[in-house]
Amino acid sequence: MHQSSDTRGPSRRGVMGAAAGLAAGSAARVAAQPAVSGAESGGHVAMRLQINGHDHDLNVDVRTSLLDALREHLDLTGSKKGCDQGQCGACTVLIDDQRELSCLTLAIAAQGRRITTIEGLAGADGALHPMQQAFIDNDAFQCGYCTPGQILSAVACVAEGHATTDADIQEHMSGNLCRCGAYPKIVLAIKQARGQMGRG
Amino acid sequence: MPRDTAELFGKPTPRIDGVAKVTGAARYASDEPVANPAFAWLVTSAIARGRVGGLRLDSAKAVPGVIDILTHDNVGALAQPPAQMDGGPTTTTLETDQIWHDGQIIAIVVAESFEAAREAANRVEVDYVAEPPSATFDSPGVQVEPHKTTEDSKDPAKGDAAAALAAAEVKIDARYSTPTQHHNPIELFTTTCVWDGPHLTIYEGSQAMWGLKANVAKQLGMDPAMVRTISRFVGGAFGSRGGTTSRTAWIAIAAKRLGRPVKLVATRDQGFTIATYRAETRQHLALGASRDGKLTAFVHEGWEVTSRPSGYNVAGVDTTARMYACPNIATAVHVVHADRNTPGFMRAPPETPYMFALESGMDELAHALNMDPIELRRVNDTKIDPVSGKPFSSRSLMACFDQAAAKFGWSGRNPKPGSMRDGDWLIGWGCATATYPTNIGPAAARLAVTPEGKVTVQLAAHEIGTGAYTVVAITAARSLGLKVDDTTVMLGDSSLPPVTVAGGSNNAATTANVVYKACEEVRRRLAEAATADPASPLHGADAASLQLKGGTLMGPTGASEPFKAALSRVTGGVLEVHAENAPQGSKPGAVAGLYEGKSAMVRGTGRENVTTFAFGAHFVEVRVHERTREIRTPRVVSAFSAGTIVNPMTAHSQFMGGALWGLSAALFEATEIDRKTARYVNHNLADYLIPVNADVPDIQVLVVPEEDDQVNPLGIKGIGEIGIVGMNAAVANAVFHATGTRIRDLPIRAESLL
Amino acid sequence: MRPFTYERAGDLSEASRLGANTGQGQTDAPVQFLAGGTTLVDLMKLDVLRPTRVVDISPLGADLAGVALTSRGLHLGALATMSKVAEHPDVRRAYPAIAESLSLAASDQLRNMASLGGNVLQRTRCPYYRDPSWEACNKRRPGSGCTAIQGYNHNHAVLGVDENCIAQYPGDLGVVLAAFDAEVELSGPSGARLLAFTSLHRPADGEPHLETNLRPGEVITGFNVPAGAWTRRSLYLKVRDRSSYEFALASAAVGLDMDGETVRQARIGLGGVAYRPWRSPEAEAVLVGKPLDEATAKAATDAAFAGAVTHGGNDFKPELGRRTLVRALLQAQSLPVSEAS
Repeated sequence: MHQSSDTRGPSRRGVMGAAAGLAAGSAARVAAQPAVSGAESGGHVAMRLQINGHDHDLNVDVRTSLLDALREHLDLTGSKKGCDQGQCGACTVLIDDQRELSCLTLAIAAQGRRITTIEGLAGADGALHPMQQAFIDNDAFQCGYCTPGQILSAVACVAEGHATTDADIQEHMSGNLCRCGAYPKIVLAIKQARGQMGRG
Repeated sequence: MPRDTAELFGKPTPRIDGVAKVTGAARYASDEPVANPAFAWLVTSAIARGRVGGLRLDSAKAVPGVIDILTHDNVGALAQPPAQMDGGPTTTTLETDQIWHDGQIIAIVVAESFEAAREAANRVEVDYVAEPPSATFDSPGVQVEPHKTTEDSKDPAKGDAAAALAAAEVKIDARYSTPTQHHNPIELFTTTCVWDGPHLTIYEGSQAMWGLKANVAKQLGMDPAMVRTISRFVGGAFGSRGGTTSRTAWIAIAAKRLGRPVKLVATRDQGFTIATYRAETRQHLALGASRDGKLTAFVHEGWEVTSRPSGYNVAGVDTTARMYACPNIATAVHVVHADRNTPGFMRAPPETPYMFALESGMDELAHALNMDPIELRRVNDTKIDPVSGKPFSSRSLMACFDQAAAKFGWSGRNPKPGSMRDGDWLIGWGCATATYPTNIGPAAARLAVTPEGKVTVQLAAHEIGTGAYTVVAITAARSLGLKVDDTTVMLGDSSLPPVTVAGGSNNAATTANVVYKACEEVRRRLAEAATADPASPLHGADAASLQLKGGTLMGPTGASEPFKAALSRVTGGVLEVHAENAPQGSKPGAVAGLYEGKSAMVRGTGRENVTTFAFGAHFVEVRVHERTREIRTPRVVSAFSAGTIVNPMTAHSQFMGGALWGLSAALFEATEIDRKTARYVNHNLADYLIPVNADVPDIQVLVVPEEDDQVNPLGIKGIGEIGIVGMNAAVANAVFHATGTRIRDLPIRAESLL
Repeated sequence: MRPFTYERAGDLSEASRLGANTGQGQTDAPVQFLAGGTTLVDLMKLDVLRPTRVVDISPLGADLAGVALTSRGLHLGALATMSKVAEHPDVRRAYPAIAESLSLAASDQLRNMASLGGNVLQRTRCPYYRDPSWEACNKRRPGSGCTAIQGYNHNHAVLGVDENCIAQYPGDLGVVLAAFDAEVELSGPSGARLLAFTSLHRPADGEPHLETNLRPGEVITGFNVPAGAWTRRSLYLKVRDRSSYEFALASAAVGLDMDGETVRQARIGLGGVAYRPWRSPEAEAVLVGKPLDEATAKAATDAAFAGAVTHGGNDFKPELGRRTLVRALLQAQSLPVSEAS
């Protein structure tokens, strides 16, 4: 599903050592785009975002968050705005396979990184990702508003190896608030999906 | 005559909107695509009382992309304040220059982009004419008065409670308090307005599609037929989206001025002051009992904060006075007017605060009597509503206690406070009663069915997370003997037949009963045609005895014909029926009122011959660290009995979510106010605590079967709110058991136990 | 959020050049460095920070995100993310307090984003600082007054405060770094320098708007945490009402070097209670040479909180802080650690 990106810089794993692990991707974002983006011309800047395997060219206000770029400029409204200040997790997306908050990410700073939103999680044929199916099977949501963020966070939680025990899952899913209180069923869903997920 | 409800309902069914919700395809109000929107940003008041002396807008207007700024001066005359659910007055926004509360809307910036609107709003400079505000209880300047009793809330009284209390062998007399709470659904409060000539479309998450439509039309002086509200999915509501709030009409006006759609996504902190909240309460409870535990006196008084103009109150004594048998009852409720926004419904509005006092008090009384708290409830259990003298239509309270107690292992409890521990953690077990009235409202629905058995049901009901789509699909499919997978449900659009407000846990009962009625009409027409047709195998049978089952129309003797054959006798195409339902006990005009956006409801305490409530019991284990006093809740067992359960899968989620709300009310939630300025200070999701995944216990929900053919034809009691009720007291009772310290003020936090 | 020019710094010299006016000591400097963005973007949205130039230093992570354990101690690259360091096996083994302080902070998403350098510079959560509609905040508007002192101060500091500001430092890692004699590596227009971590944050001293001793254009490039017998017998205890994803009501970083039952050396940091990352040499001094039991632990915590000043809403903090430290000390003592390092 994820295309390899040619806009990323050379891998620095060699420099940092094998233990660099998770952060290698983010550490290595040496940009191949213009270094300066001005507040001139009404503050609009051109940028290219790689989302769900496709490049999207935008010309938006330099202040635009990645979340607003997705929602207001690309009609990718699956990523939700619940607080817009990094406190609820509803806007969680995968960036270079890590879960991050799109509300606290400037869109312009996300250039050159691989962004996966809920719309990009199912297969090209529309087949649900095992985590999506597990959320349905376990009724792991009620209103559904936090659900895209929960699911992307859950996918990362499993990939990180943080889904071994119930306590581990609960701790590492605590960045995604669910006001309806579906938490125990989210844990069940993750336990169902973890064995069905391929690595990476 | 309804079919056996066990045949229709009770099969766990995954949500039919599940795929939409897990793929991001579900469109919540601010997700709805509109062409070329402009973006609105609210400017809100930084003082709680006074007047807007003037607005300096030059700097804001100079921001590139700013199109318009709405203020009292330029639009104030264009809208009336929104009607309130209680029919009374409330605070205003741009209609006047008056400031009633912190965070009141005083201007609205509209710009080409979200970013420009936000910057410009931050550049608006306000000259305030400030007066010293009153924040809450005990603040100088608050006005206290008795609440206005209504038909639904009459201050229950019976016998001579004062004398009985004075004479009681055992008594408790205590004061309790509950804090301000905000719903904080994860979906922010948003509104998008689009005009097409004279037609206005409003996209806004709502629990009252027709109510919102009618209210905004009235505010704007429009024909309601010109207004359409759309809210296909709602990202949590909990009462916060039941009433019409001020922002909507102003966004409509902004869009009209621009001739362009306008979209507002209010910030999380603005959500604390532009919508409603659960007001803080203070309560006085006194219980008298004989040595055997029988209640002899019941006194419950409440004080509730509200805004200056509004008399809004929840008066939960109307529920608490009916909980247990008692010959002498005295209650009173007072409102305390402060410089605050007007409160409103929040999940189990009366019961959450008032049952905290009663169920804490019952635990205190049990302790004073040296009696098991379950036995105290058993001694005082009653099949008769002690206030009205009417029988409860059903009451499975003690069955809930007994089954939950067994599951929890309550018999292993050492009743002595502080007697149970695990290493450094003190362990406490507590229990409490849950209850919620069974309400039902009028509704209309349109149902169409094809010869192939494809069903479409349309009604302006509300999917706020309760599984409303699935309830409707189950009811229609099973009543017609067809498949849930072949059923399409459309909700959340005021162009569909009206349904009363999704509040008071009435949704399942209201929608299932009206949809069942539509299905019954289909059945009747098919049955009458079949029995009259000599060519039918059902010819000559009693039409009333035929049922739609398994894709056939079936007679009592087993004769049947396929659904398609039965339907094609009635129509060559699609059969469509429009059903309207006024539940038993409805006031005259209830259905007509629906089309005017009125949200009528038959309440559990307002029935002619019976009182209708659902009941439950909570058991919780708390652990308190002996040194640092953090409180954790590793284990919960809750049992509920609520009549027919339409979909056990989603019902379980609602009971569980409700119980977590109860834990949250006990341990986490409180909106803090700066007392000097009457301004909220923790209006965000980092500082207004709600539980995270790691806080959640092993939680078991038991459903105690119950049949009740008096509540409504399908025997459905509401389940959305009962889960929260009493859990706050169960936790407080468990904390007392763990530590010997009785905490009567919520929330209970580490600092409460130092 | 005000308009700004966004620039990327490809290397340190570019960062120093572009960031020449950062003046990070000032809370509202016109130029701000952007790494994870979890503090900066938040405060810009709230209109608290209004930089005209944002210099994205995340490309520096290519060289400044390493974690290295040597016989002299632990080196942490400033651009390493919180999650990377929290999970690093060497850190977990040799400096458990550091790993714990990170894994108990924020959420997984935020830890994946936030850099260590940004994390230690995290701003206070004081509601009067975070909302410009409050007129009086000496940290945001020098000389305007302090609303918190007579307002809502439930989670405000009790140590290191003055009559101008009682804001609390909300971070966790910084508390451990303060306790463990860490050094900050800096790179600026006039070259590289080292600073004791306890000198990174300035005391209130009547100028709460000046938060750090960073010079204009200076970037934090890394942290050195010296080796010591106490690093293995160390822990970070965080007390809060929620089980996760909440700032501390009180926290304690403790490192002990034990000779049997007797304390040879102690390192003690306190969080959730102080104006800046707080080390308590007073408490450490009480413990040295004494057997660690309930009584000595209590004596140490009394020393730690002797100067506490409360303002009503936070009256509970000294007591909770003392209990937290006692619990942390006794828990650290019982850790199954071999004293040989």
